[in-house]
Amino acid sequence: MTNVLTQEAPASRDQLAQKMSVKNLDFFYGETRALKSVSVPLYANQATAFIGPSGCGKSTLLRVLNRMYSLYPRQRAEGEVLLDGENILNPKQDINALRARVGMVFQKPTPFPMSIYDNIAFGVRLYEKLGKADMDERVEKALRGAAIWDEVKDKLNASGLSLSGGQQQRLCIARTVAIQPEVILFDEPCSALDPISTAKVEELIDEMRRDYTIAIVTHNMQQAVRVSQYTAFMYLGEMVEFDDTDKIFTAPKERRTQDYITGRFG
Amino acid sequence: MVEHTVRSFDADLETLDRHISEMGGIAEKMLADAMDALSTMNVELAQKVIATDVRLDVLQRTVEDLAVRVLARRQPVAVDLRDVVGVIRISADLERIGDQAKNIAKRAAKIAGESRIPRAVVGLRSMHDLAATQLNDVLDAYAQRDVERAKAVWNRDLELDALEDSVFRDLLTFMMEDPRNITFCTHLLFCSKNLERVGDHTTNIAETVYYIVTGESMPGERPRGIDSSTLP
Amino acid sequence: MSALQAARKTRSAVAMGLCVASAGVGLIALAFILAALFWNGFSGLNLKVFTEMTPPPGSSGGLLNAIVGSLIMTFFGVLIGAPLGMFAGTYMAEYGRNSKLTTVVRFINDILLSAPSIVIGLFVYEITVVQMGHFSAIAGSIALALLVVPVVVRTTEDMLNLVPGSLREAATALGMPRSLVIRHVAYKAARAGLITGLLLAVARVSGETAPLLFTALNNQFWSTKLDAPMASLPVVIFQFALSPYKEWQALAWAGALIITLAVLTLSITARVLGAQRTSK
Repeated sequence: MTNVLTQEAPASRDQLAQKMSVKNLDFFYGETRALKSVSVPLYANQATAFIGPSGCGKSTLLRVLNRMYSLYPRQRAEGEVLLDGENILNPKQDINALRARVGMVFQKPTPFPMSIYDNIAFGVRLYEKLGKADMDERVEKALRGAAIWDEVKDKLNASGLSLSGGQQQRLCIARTVAIQPEVILFDEPCSALDPISTAKVEELIDEMRRDYTIAIVTHNMQQAVRVSQYTAFMYLGEMVEFDDTDKIFTAPKERRTQDYITGRFG
Repeated sequence: MVEHTVRSFDADLETLDRHISEMGGIAEKMLADAMDALSTMNVELAQKVIATDVRLDVLQRTVEDLAVRVLARRQPVAVDLRDVVGVIRISADLERIGDQAKNIAKRAAKIAGESRIPRAVVGLRSMHDLAATQLNDVLDAYAQRDVERAKAVWNRDLELDALEDSVFRDLLTFMMEDPRNITFCTHLLFCSKNLERVGDHTTNIAETVYYIVTGESMPGERPRGIDSSTLP
Repeated sequence: MSALQAARKTRSAVAMGLCVASAGVGLIALAFILAALFWNGFSGLNLKVFTEMTPPPGSSGGLLNAIVGSLIMTFFGVLIGAPLGMFAGTYMAEYGRNSKLTTVVRFINDILLSAPSIVIGLFVYEITVVQMGHFSAIAGSIALALLVVPVVVRTTEDMLNLVPGSLREAATALGMPRSLVIRHVAYKAARAGLITGLLLAVARVSGETAPLLFTALNNQFWSTKLDAPMASLPVVIFQFALSPYKEWQALAWAGALIITLAVLTLSITARVLGAQRTSK
């Protein structure tokens, strides 16, 4: 795993392309305003961590990025969320097409009640008609990409539910990777995993950065330090500070950020 | 600063702080005693200084152990991380200052029997006074997390370097005047080097204080006089 | 302290005693019923029961036409009722979870669930038998279907509600449209529960007499015509048990035993499937 010392310093921020860009985003649960004029960039091929106390709006923000909130009535977003320059909040946006480009991995592993092979192939079949050989290849590639191939290659027909928690989570990552998204959102992906599984997933996230743009919500600040290049600190629905991860965790500018990450929150 | 949610973390940091101020006090006392021993040829006092250094070494190891434990247990970030890293660096500098004082004391014991010129020690005295003030100031700056004061200490190191230059010239003059002074003055020459080193460590501490408070390194090139070693 | 505890212990012992006694009374009653059923049922049971038609009074015969009639009408009742119930339950759990319509449907469904089956029988009699001018197997099937619907609606909704929302979100996050999420993920996750519900519905209707009395009536002869009256086990039991003829009474016992064993088998299968679901 790359650590802070050997990690190449992120290129100057001005030179990085913004894969996604949130601009003046407000979000409402019914009458409650959960996000207050939030603006934040997601740089291409970088991992951005979102930290903050429970209820600060970080998960809400993540669920706006793939319009997951559209599943539920009485939730709405105002403002702009650009993906390659196009506003995904536009009512004309094809939501399923968006979700194919912006994948999501959840807090609890959620394998589908089907075989390991089908867990991967199922999503792929939504978008592509592949022959048996091509599909086999795609499934293997996805499972390798999620560093779980060696553990499951001999039991691809076993139920996805038969795997351990850490394996299930990597299966879910493979499932997301298989449909070849551009952005992957992680919502506390390791909170239900043991330390070894957590390390494997973190290692994976770091490698995945080469091919995808990554956003990760986490309660574990050490994890934010380990996997992200940029960190956003949110509090009470506001974006308090956004900066290089190294900067946030050694010398944050905002008092509230410092109080939170050093454990001084009342 | 607001307290940590985990109280024992605050207690750990306070203990580290207390150890540093204790080390600072010991280093200051050692330096003053060593200088007194040198000017009054007090062998007994010199021996006491040498003995005290052990205490300083032990304290430094204690500080390092505790700091490492805090790193492992609390995984501090931001200001806490800078605090702990700063404490490790400062304790090392203070231990080195103690070593310089010990060296001076050793020489004081050694040259107690030599023929001597009281005039020659005057320059060293004023070097010591400045170094002691600097040390005192930087310890205060650390205790109060006072960046301005740390900066002032940092800038004043130039004066100590200049003083060392003039002490060097003076001692050279004494040696040329009468070759019998050479042994005594050479020892004093080394002592002046020791005092200059104390100044360097003090400057290091000032830089550390600046880093602890701001998270950045002291801006600008470190002020430096002409290095005496390049002189003829 | 100790006095308080002693009083508490006494009260606890009394309550416990009442509970055990009640359970005992229930179990003893059940044991007697089962004992009588098995005793009389097995003595009336022989190969002829499964091979011969219901006999005229005073002669011997079997229950073949009644067994087949029950199977046919139960099959069609479930065929009509189960899809209706599944669709309604799916709407309530998936699409209309927060809508008013769901609340109303659920309320009405609960009433239907506890409605006396004789009322259902009379209702179907009015809308089919009276309109067609004669009793028929179709009318019987419709009456059974109306009994299947509320059970299946209930279990479908409950089972789908048990599927974790996170699973739906995960499927949705892959860009899966709603219909696919329901068909391929929610149904799959709830499959064991849905089958259990279906089996329970079958068990429930296979013992119903009242709705069939008014709709399919009975038929002493072999008949598989859907638009004609058809025999069924419960109705035959009802008729034979009340008769004064020894042979008929013996056949009624045998029929009762067959139904009981069938329902028992279905219930156990449902339990086993349910256990499989929870163990996963």
